[in-house]
Amino acid sequence: MTKTKRTHPLGLLDHLAKSVKNWWPLLIIILAQSQSWWGKLLIPAAILIFVIWPLISWWSISYRVTPTALEFHSGILVRHHEHIPYARIQTVQRKQWFYLAPFHLEEVSVETASHEDGKPEVRLAAVTPDVAALIEHYRQAANTVPTDSSTANSAEPVIAPAVQATYALTTRPRWQFVLTSTGFIPILLVALGIYGKLPHNLIERLGSDLAHLSGLFLIIGGLAIAVAAWLFTVVMLLIRYFHFRATRIGDQIQVAKGLFQRNTITVPLQRIQAVRFKQNVFRQWIGIQTAQLLLASRAAAEDNNDDLVLLPAVTLPQSYTALRPFVDWTPATSPDLSALSVTNGRRWLLVRNALLIAVVPVAIATWFWPTWNALFDLVLVIAFGQGLFAANNTGGSLVGHKLLVLRTGHWWTRETYLVPLAKIQSVRLRQSIWMKRTHLMHLTVNVRHGNRNQAIALRYLTANQAESIYDWYRTNAI
Amino acid sequence: MSQSQHPLPNRIKLIWGISAIGSLLVLLVVTGLFWLAQTYWDWAAWLTVTMLVVAIGEPIIETALIPYRYRFTRYMISDTAVEMQAGFIFKKRVAIPIARVQNVTLNAGPLLQWRKLSKVTVATASTTHTIEGLELTTAEQLRDQIMQLAREARHDQN
Repeated sequence: MTKTKRTHPLGLLDHLAKSVKNWWPLLIIILAQSQSWWGKLLIPAAILIFVIWPLISWWSISYRVTPTALEFHSGILVRHHEHIPYARIQTVQRKQWFYLAPFHLEEVSVETASHEDGKPEVRLAAVTPDVAALIEHYRQAANTVPTDSSTANSAEPVIAPAVQATYALTTRPRWQFVLTSTGFIPILLVALGIYGKLPHNLIERLGSDLAHLSGLFLIIGGLAIAVAAWLFTVVMLLIRYFHFRATRIGDQIQVAKGLFQRNTITVPLQRIQAVRFKQNVFRQWIGIQTAQLLLASRAAAEDNNDDLVLLPAVTLPQSYTALRPFVDWTPATSPDLSALSVTNGRRWLLVRNALLIAVVPVAIATWFWPTWNALFDLVLVIAFGQGLFAANNTGGSLVGHKLLVLRTGHWWTRETYLVPLAKIQSVRLRQSIWMKRTHLMHLTVNVRHGNRNQAIALRYLTANQAESIYDWYRTNAI
Repeated sequence: MSQSQHPLPNRIKLIWGISAIGSLLVLLVVTGLFWLAQTYWDWAAWLTVTMLVVAIGEPIIETALIPYRYRFTRYMISDTAVEMQAGFIFKKRVAIPIARVQNVTLNAGPLLQWRKLSKVTVATASTTHTIEGLELTTAEQLRDQIMQLAREARHDQN
C-alpha cells in the first residue's frame, strides 16, 4: 500500500457527526424558525456546515502506509502533513461502530508520545482492517530490527508471532467487576450539583413539601437516586466491557472490548510505563482488583483515568500469576511491601493531616447550617478513617534491581504500582524542618501517564527508607 | 559520580533583589488602581489599605529571605544525573538521570543576560525542573553533555 489513499466514503458519516456535534444549536434554530425569513437565511449556512464542510474535510484527509513511515495528510485551509516512523508509535487503536461492521470497515487511531494534547496524531475514520494490520506489521518489524531497513521493506508478513497469553472476562468476575464500580459516585455528585443550581423558590417549595414527609421518605428518595445512578453505570460497563479479551502476541498486548463500538488497542510491551493494581472500597470487601497499564498516550482515555484495563477483575492471590504472562518484568508472586512503610508511631500524622483538611470546611458549614451538624461531623469521621487507611496502605519495596513496587491508599482506593527503573522519570524527596527532627521524609516517584505526569507519593516514610530508594535510583538509572 | 553540591552563582542574589523591587513597583501600581477605584467608584477604603500593606510587606519579606533562599538552593551535575535541592523549612531534593532528559532549555531574561547567567529548565517525558540561574558556560556545558548523550545510540525509552 504505497499509494496515497482516501478513507472509505462511509467515513463521511464521522465528519458529519462531528459537524452536528459542534453545530447542533444551528439545526434547532432552523427548525424553530422555519417560518420566519431569517430562519430561511440560515439554510445556506447549514448546507455549508452540514454538507459541504464534511465533504471537503473528508476529501482533504489522505494517508499512505509506506515501509518506513505512516504518512497522514489533512486540513482544508492549512494543510498538515504528518510523517510518523513506526518506531515512534505508542498505540494503535481500532474502533468499530456497529454500523461499520457489515462493511468490514473500522476507525484507526495512531498515537505517538508527543505532548499534543487530547488528540491522536492520526485518525482514519473508515478504512479496511488491512490498514491496521499493515501498520502493525511494519511496526513490529521496526521494533525488532530497528536499523535494518532491508527486512522492513518486505511487505509479506514475517512469521506470525505466537499467542503467548489470553485473558477473557468470564461471567463471575464480570459481574463482580461491573457491580462494584464506583463510577456512580461522580454521577451522584453531578446530581447534587444540579440540585444546588435549582432556583431558590423551587428549593423552598420543595423544602416545605418535604417538611410534611417523614425523614424515612427522604432517605428512600436519596437511595432511589443512588440506585438509579448505580444501575446506569452497571449497564454502561456491561456495554463497554462486552466480550472483553486481552491477548499477548509476541511483544505486543492487544485488548479488545465493547458492544456497540468494538474497541481494540494494541501496545508494544516496551511502551508500558507502569502497571497498576487498583482496588476500590467495594472491591476490597470481595477481594478482587483491577490491573491496568499506564501508557504514554491517551488511547485508553475512555477507560478509568486513561489507563488501559488489562485484567478487569482478578482475585488477590491470582493477581501476579495472571499478570506475569502478559508483562515479563512483573514479579511471579505478590511481593512483600513492608520495606517502605509508615511506622506504627507515625500513623497519626496522616490522620492529623486528613482531619486538618476536613476541619475548616466542616467548621464553616457548621457555622452556617448548625442543624446539619451531625452530618458534617460524619465527614470528620470519614477523614479520620481515610488518614488511617492511607497510613496502613503505604507500602513498597524493590523487587530485584530493576523494579520498584509502591502501594498507596487514596480516597479509599488501594493502588499498587509496578514501575520499572527505566520508566521512572525523576525521584523527589521532601522534608520539612519538623520532619527532620523525627527523621521522616516524603518520597515522590514520577512516571509518565497519558500526556501528563503521575506522581506516586509515599508520605511519612522514615528518612532511611526514602533515601535508600533515592540513592538506588540515582546510582542505577543510567 | 559523587561531585559536591554547588550553590547557585553569587550574582543571582542581586537579580533576586532587583526582582523584589520589580514586584514592589507592580504591587504599587495595583495599589494605585485600587486607590483610583476608591476615589471614583467608592470602593471600600480597607481594600486599598490591605493592598498597600501587601505591596510593601511582600517585597520586604522577599528581600529578607534572599540569603536563606540562596543558602539552601543547591544543584549538582554529574556524568549521569542532575540533582537539585531547595528550601529549608520545606526541603526538596530531586534526582533526574541524564538518560531521562528529553530536552534542556536555556532561558535568560534581560537581567540574567546582563549578569551572564541563564535559567536552565530540564524536561523529562513527564516532569520539568528548573535551576533558577547558572553561569552561562555551565548551562551550555550541561546542555552539550545531554545532547552528547542523546546522540550516543540512545534507543527510545518511551
